[in-house]
Amino acid sequence: MVQAGSKKTQVPKLSSKTGISSLIIFVVLLLAWIVGFSSRLFAVIRFESIIHEFDPWFNYRATAYMVKHGFYNFLNWFDERAWYPLGRIVGGTVYPGLMLTSGSIHYFLHLLHINVHIRDICVFLAPVFSGLTAISTYFLTKELWSAGAGLFAACFIAIVPGYISRSVAGSYDNEGIAIFALQFTYFLWIKSVKTGSVFWAITAALSYFYMVSAWGGYVFIINLIPLHVFVLLLMGRFSNRLFTSYTTFYIIGLICSMQIPFVGFQPIRTSEHMAASGVFVLLFAVGALKYLQSMLSKSEFKSVVIYGGLIAAALVFLTVVLLTYAGYIAPWSGRFYSLWDTGYAKIHIPIIASVSEHQPTTWFSFFFDLHILAATFPAGLWYCIKNVNDERVFVILYSISAVYFAGVMVRLMLTLTPVVCILSGIAFSGLLELFLREDDNVRPEEQEDEDQNTPNKRQLYDKAGAGGRLPKIKHDQSKESDGIGQNIRSIVTIVIMLLLMLFAVHCTWVTGNAYSSPSIVLASYGSDGSRQILDDFREAYFWLSQNTADDARVMSWWDYGYQIAGMANRTTLVDNNTWNNSHIALVGKAMSSNETAAYDIMTALDVDYVLVIFGGVIGYSGDDINKFLWMVRIAEGEHPKDIRESDYFTEHGEFRVDAEGSPTLLNSLMYKLSYYRFGELKLDYRTPAGYDRTRNAVIGNKDFSLTYLEEAYTTEHWLVRVYKVKKPDEFNRPRIPVANRVIKSPNFISKKSNKRKKGTIKNKPVVVKGKRLSKNQ
Amino acid sequence: MKALKLGLLLIATVILYNVDAQGKRQGSTLAERVQQLTDMTNKRPILRFNANKFREFVKTAPRNYSVIIMFTAMAAQRQCMVCRQANDEFSAVATSFRYSQAYSNKLFFGVVDFDEGSDIFQMLKLNTAPVFMHFPAKGKPKGPDTMDIQRIGFAAETISKWIAERTDIQIRVFRPPNYMGTFALIMLIAFVAGILYLTRNNLDFLCNKNMWGVCALFFTLAMTSGQMWNHIRGPPFMHKNQNGQIAYIHGSSQGQFVVETYIVMVLNAAIVIGVILLTEAAKIKGDPKRKKFMAISGLVLLSVFFSLLLSVFRTKTQGYPYSFLFK
Repeated sequence: MVQAGSKKTQVPKLSSKTGISSLIIFVVLLLAWIVGFSSRLFAVIRFESIIHEFDPWFNYRATAYMVKHGFYNFLNWFDERAWYPLGRIVGGTVYPGLMLTSGSIHYFLHLLHINVHIRDICVFLAPVFSGLTAISTYFLTKELWSAGAGLFAACFIAIVPGYISRSVAGSYDNEGIAIFALQFTYFLWIKSVKTGSVFWAITAALSYFYMVSAWGGYVFIINLIPLHVFVLLLMGRFSNRLFTSYTTFYIIGLICSMQIPFVGFQPIRTSEHMAASGVFVLLFAVGALKYLQSMLSKSEFKSVVIYGGLIAAALVFLTVVLLTYAGYIAPWSGRFYSLWDTGYAKIHIPIIASVSEHQPTTWFSFFFDLHILAATFPAGLWYCIKNVNDERVFVILYSISAVYFAGVMVRLMLTLTPVVCILSGIAFSGLLELFLREDDNVRPEEQEDEDQNTPNKRQLYDKAGAGGRLPKIKHDQSKESDGIGQNIRSIVTIVIMLLLMLFAVHCTWVTGNAYSSPSIVLASYGSDGSRQILDDFREAYFWLSQNTADDARVMSWWDYGYQIAGMANRTTLVDNNTWNNSHIALVGKAMSSNETAAYDIMTALDVDYVLVIFGGVIGYSGDDINKFLWMVRIAEGEHPKDIRESDYFTEHGEFRVDAEGSPTLLNSLMYKLSYYRFGELKLDYRTPAGYDRTRNAVIGNKDFSLTYLEEAYTTEHWLVRVYKVKKPDEFNRPRIPVANRVIKSPNFISKKSNKRKKGTIKNKPVVVKGKRLSKNQ
Repeated sequence: MKALKLGLLLIATVILYNVDAQGKRQGSTLAERVQQLTDMTNKRPILRFNANKFREFVKTAPRNYSVIIMFTAMAAQRQCMVCRQANDEFSAVATSFRYSQAYSNKLFFGVVDFDEGSDIFQMLKLNTAPVFMHFPAKGKPKGPDTMDIQRIGFAAETISKWIAERTDIQIRVFRPPNYMGTFALIMLIAFVAGILYLTRNNLDFLCNKNMWGVCALFFTLAMTSGQMWNHIRGPPFMHKNQNGQIAYIHGSSQGQFVVETYIVMVLNAAIVIGVILLTEAAKIKGDPKRKKFMAISGLVLLSVFFSLLLSVFRTKTQGYPYSFLFK
């Protein structure tokens, strides 16, 4: 509600004095920050201050390590607790920006003797940065269009679900700070293109450096900015400002980005970064031609342009191709390639296809995450195209590329959201600016004032722009007192306000219902609305940390690797950093083989405990049986001889866990571990024993015992089940008849009973008083 | 996959072949048969079997080679569309094998057409086409020796994977490159370049912002209405349930129909046009009536179509509490 109110307040500022307008801007941005911060706190209020999900647990663990051991030890950290027996070089395989940010906040607060636990900083980092994102969005939109549009955009991005989904309190992930860095880099880039000053270009490069240190999505920036430059060249908008800003930005950005250990030499060695250097060369070529143009006659120049251009283009292209062939430049990586050829991941990289956030996006998700903005931002795009200038070319390209990527992958909705907010801000502020203008006629002198100001400002940077838009409108407006009529104007205003209010409540509803679950602590609601907290995950991880040896190795599917490492502090085989597909496939193979075959793999990998997630008791759908087919697929990719996906389906091609399920499935390790002793459990007097609530079926394999494993711990709601892998000497070995034994044990039978509790000592010497002991003692 | 079932229903009449009249060359030894098969394969990668040849080369007991047979009905009057596609994929695999490194006389590819060997169909109790079967070197074909095309389809890669499972012979599928796409692309580029060249003195249309604007808007609308999802997942156009009712909107939030995305695209476009009309109404100068008309129509477009969009969204979300104008 504060949101809707704040939107109203920004309108009068267009025609009021500087002091009041800057006060309004300040207040609106402050309110946007506060609203954005507080609407991200649902999870903390409903549950507690806790790190969410999977990846944040790794980030938290790394941050805690850095705070404890210092930055340089962190960079050199070799984590032997992950990817057993390989280990993982954490310092070189992580984007350290997130840990550095929260680590330095922690440092400063402690310098001021504010003793905050590092966990709380991690939990609240993303909400705090959402306010900074709103502010940088305001500045970016202000550069692109107007301050009014900027305020709209800032308010939108503060509460839009597409961004909240990655930045609620506790979601301690790279994206939380990266979107701020993204917007701020774009703002500085636009600023430097407009002014052509080296200062802004350097700040843009530094901000880009921060972005590189924070998130792998920096590749988007380093391709979008060259694309912007390239399109400007195509449009004949080359200028010395552009030349200065891009060359400065590219060189400093390149050198800075290579300082991040994880990035290293990639910016000059991989295809993803080649566009940037190509444009860099091209810009020089164009600059040289422009210089020649001033020296040569027209006909000479024409031939120089044609031949020179062709030769230069062919040369650059050939160089890149040759270097790629020679192996100096790595070809497109699979993850990147899957963005273009949309069927690629499905065929070649099942591990990418298995992640739900790598799926394409339905229209539903667009509307769910952006609500009215998804429908109105094309209008803003339309006005940007109609009134194009250097920096608006940028926002046009940004929106079109981002909307494509968001269509291919749900996850990239995050990069689309900021530009949608900017463009919708432009559309809405354009509308309201015009429809609330009637009031301005009362104060014509002030309007004149602004009319003179605006063109001056615009001339600074917008030489090529088609005739100024704003001044024209204002002249029109002031000339005719009444075009549309007061009634319609107010109706339009009210309808727009209603729509924006709907947007605000939608955002709150979506945030509260969809994006504020920590997914470590689950909540279920009874019929009377009472809430029950299911804390099984932490229960199991705490049990592991208390009851197992410090160096115990826990095997689980990779989703839970980070959580086991973070909460139980035990060694894992695979985790969410899915860098080694064959290792994951080995775990998948163990899970999908029968017990004997799995035991061989488990002994080879020194597994002590196996952890499975089982949702059949409470009806939790994200459990391991539902993920099981992905384990089979990934295992099949590496071991096609042993694992075949078709074996896990029934004859009709169904995946069933009941009696009709395929025998391979019913005897697989994962099935047995999930359903061990489940056949005896009667959940409900209406359902038979062994009724799986998630899959709504009575399980097919009820009475079985485990040979090589034993149940170690099962949590309250059976959500997490931990099994201990028996050592070779612990199996229930078959009894060998006495006659066949090689080593005959003495046939000693204890004759102890309750009556004769006194022990006897074998070969006890008989001591008789006054005599010596017998010799054979 | 339904189309497969339409493939062929076996005609019940028994066509009696004059079996005795066929000279059964029982005397041919294993080596001779292998030699014959190899010779035939050298001529054509896929062997055509009629009833006799099928018995002689596939059914006869001592064999040291596997045979992959596609049972099909290619005759025009059978109207089996999938058979034609299956035949293309199958011949792609066979040709790849014929010219690959792994080529040997351990594996042969054959085809039995219903019109040439219907008694084979009866013998194997087949009543659909196409069917892919593997006849192993030893023993009779078992369950998995029939490829499950209902579930995994019959793309050339799947066939080769299935063959690798059954016979341990890896075949890398080389498709004859499809020049149509490249050709169309070259034609398009040439066409565009030609137009640009012809109108080289008048390139103003490239600076036409309306054209660029419409293109960009169309692209964004296509993306936000989930056309990419359709492209990747290939959902049905619409859904018809048992009662014959047609559903245009997918019931869950996880899926969508093609029609649904078009509806959403139109709704989104109407909202965009509404916003633009409203802005233009306030911006242009001239006839107040026209301005009023534009403003009102813009407002109606914006509010009505947004309400429609919201109500479509509501039907897909459980427990969504908000609506505007319509339920």
